[in-house]
Amino acid sequence: MKRILVVDDAGFMRASLKMMLERNGHQVVGEAENGLVAVTKYKEIRPDIVTMDITMPVCDGIKAVKMIKEFDPDAKVIMISSMGQECFVRDAILAGAKGFIVKPFKEDYVIQAIEKL
Amino acid sequence: MTDNVSREPMLDMFIFETLQLLDQLEQSLINSEKESGFESSIDEIFRIMHTIKGSAAMMLFDDISKLAHSIEDLFFYLREEKPENVNSTEIIDIVLNGVDFIKNETVKLENGQEPDGDASDLIKEIRDYLGNLKSINNAGSDSPDSESSHTLEVEKDQKYYISSNKAASTPKSHKYEAVLKFEEQCGMENIRAFSVIHDLKEIADVNYFYPEDVIDGGGKSENSEIIQKDGFRVVFSTDLGLDEVKERLSHTILLKSLDVYVINEDLEDIMGDMPDTRETELKEQELKMDGKANVLNDSSQASEQNEHSSGRQLSNEKKTGPSADNTASSSKQSVISVNIAKLDKLMDLVGEIVISEAMVTQNPDLEGLQLDNFHKAARQLNKLTNELQDVVMSIRMVPLSMTFQKMNRIVRDMGKKLNKSIELEIIGEETEVDKNIIERISDPLIHLIRNAVDHGLEDPDERVAKGKPPAGKITLEAKNAGGDVWIFVKDDGRGLDREKILKKAREAGLIHKPENELTDKEIYSFIFTPGFSTKENVTEFSGRGVGMDIVSNNISMVGGTIFVDSVPDNGTTISIKLPLTLAIINGMSIKVGKSRYTIPTISIKESFKVKNEAVITDSEGNEMIMVRGEVYPVLRLHKFYKINTEVTNINDGIIVMVESDSRVICIFADELLGEQQVVVKALPKYIKKVKGIGGCTLLGDGSISLILDVAGLVS
Repeated sequence: MKRILVVDDAGFMRASLKMMLERNGHQVVGEAENGLVAVTKYKEIRPDIVTMDITMPVCDGIKAVKMIKEFDPDAKVIMISSMGQECFVRDAILAGAKGFIVKPFKEDYVIQAIEKL
Repeated sequence: MTDNVSREPMLDMFIFETLQLLDQLEQSLINSEKESGFESSIDEIFRIMHTIKGSAAMMLFDDISKLAHSIEDLFFYLREEKPENVNSTEIIDIVLNGVDFIKNETVKLENGQEPDGDASDLIKEIRDYLGNLKSINNAGSDSPDSESSHTLEVEKDQKYYISSNKAASTPKSHKYEAVLKFEEQCGMENIRAFSVIHDLKEIADVNYFYPEDVIDGGGKSENSEIIQKDGFRVVFSTDLGLDEVKERLSHTILLKSLDVYVINEDLEDIMGDMPDTRETELKEQELKMDGKANVLNDSSQASEQNEHSSGRQLSNEKKTGPSADNTASSSKQSVISVNIAKLDKLMDLVGEIVISEAMVTQNPDLEGLQLDNFHKAARQLNKLTNELQDVVMSIRMVPLSMTFQKMNRIVRDMGKKLNKSIELEIIGEETEVDKNIIERISDPLIHLIRNAVDHGLEDPDERVAKGKPPAGKITLEAKNAGGDVWIFVKDDGRGLDREKILKKAREAGLIHKPENELTDKEIYSFIFTPGFSTKENVTEFSGRGVGMDIVSNNISMVGGTIFVDSVPDNGTTISIKLPLTLAIINGMSIKVGKSRYTIPTISIKESFKVKNEAVITDSEGNEMIMVRGEVYPVLRLHKFYKINTEVTNINDGIIVMVESDSRVICIFADELLGEQQVVVKALPKYIKKVKGIGGCTLLGDGSISLILDVAGLVS
């Protein structure tokens, strides 16, 4: 069982991730709709894993990864990206993200990724 | 593995890559000059010098490496400090000198000589220039630092050279090759690969990986496909043990399978340890990549050493990706470079196969036999040989772009020396021509361009006086037309001087008919006569009187034709018609006595029978025929080549009308045998050159047919 913070500006995405995760025995301990909120919540909650959308208003996922990694170098962040965002994903990896999943994603892959880390 | 055997491929690769990089560099420099600034190309220039420096150091070519280093320093300064008051033309001149030096040395290597040139003067010049630049621009306190760290970098590089008997000594103790496969449809496999590399760099020195340009994220879907299909391969050195490495890599997200192999340093061992599924072709790529990757590795190592932020390192790597793309053959893993001699051999063999096929299918033993199945099989064979021929042919086709791009430099250099400003427009550089032809037209083209710049274009003042824009324009154009490739060299200069050419031709006794009957075209064509030059002043570039005839000769040697057209004060256009390939032509077989000749079908206009009455004989006994109101001379092959034949009566034989250079003659032969594709073979050296014979070919029955050189016959 992993404690997970789900970050996405789209409520639908957060809900579907939450559903997938919870039905596989993980716990979604927090949700955030932009990078800034995500950083604040990370500091509060200290989840095991963060799933991070890339394009978000106010503060995007890459900046958020940087800030989270600054605060906690061991933080484990998985990026949730769409096709065509290769450059952003690369930047996110350089910023310290541990991996990424491409939308639309399969439940198996999400769970596999979460459990690998 | 002896020293010689193992060094060759490395050296070859060095030469190949360096020359390619230099061409690119030259291009960037010239573009920079056009933009009178380095903004758009500085990263590329810097990167190229950096790469050359690294590889030259690996190969222990000190002078090249040091020179490249000094140029790199110069551009490093330009890039980091962005000094003002930079005279980009001066810099470009200096750098081009350096480029020429490196090119010369590399060409020496290519010819099996020692690169013994001394670059110290050039290096000093560049260093002085950089010193000046710094003092003028009041260099900030950090620039000495950056230079010293740069020097450090070189020392690091020099430790990094690879020689065959002393394999690269990486400090890490184990070397591994890992093949990673990702889950199907996990998306962005290239970025996953990038992520793996990024992760590995924390624990290991990454030596190389395949596909190579995963670092360049943008839209490389073919890489994703390769990774999806064959997995992502990476070779790295680390102190960690096999299990630890496996453990680390297995944490990769969405990993489907992972294979890790322990390997030794030797190339051969890498190949030996490759998974069985890999085919030889891949191995060849491997060899190539290994070298390339060493360069890559070197450059990233160097920038680490440079103690710049990882951002800088990344920007370096980013640049490596797309630029490698330009050098098509070195980055796209689906491309391998092949020794041209092998291709020639292949072409020859295909030629032989085409002949053998004809020998079999047209075998005299088969005559009169009912062989339905045989013919069916023969048709299949014929189809396949044709396909094979096409494929081999296409392998040999190379775009003209390299040849054309070279002209930029020539135009630039000459323009500066002669104080003319010139714009060179290049059209259709993607047009493809047989490699052999490209090689042989490069010099003639250079000559034509030089002529255009030197003789054709006027001085700016003169141009303005004539109401033309001060900058002259030269257009270099290539296009496909039917089975030919046309190349045009066009200038908007003063045009050819008709009267001067006429006068000169008169003096040289070249005019054989009344002057008022000469067409402009005929007059202009005199410039292709040996020793013909109307230019009074010999300049460094042209006007020595040798040239146009050699150009014309070279062109006709590859089966091409050259035309000239000119309008006074409007410019001159030289058109060159080239065949796509030299090796195989369509030919009409004809018989004269017991001999067979082949006429290239391309030059045949028509063939027909004539009656004796249609033949007109002039006072000197020359025969002519009147066809549709035009009179054409008759060339009796049996007379021309003194062959015994029973067919001497025009009534009995056949006339083949051929054209070359818009001149037409009627060849008289005994009979037509039929049209077929023939493989052109040069006449053996021990046979002296015979007028009108361009080569020979083997016929299906094994007999030899001489190929008529129509251009030679009509003149």
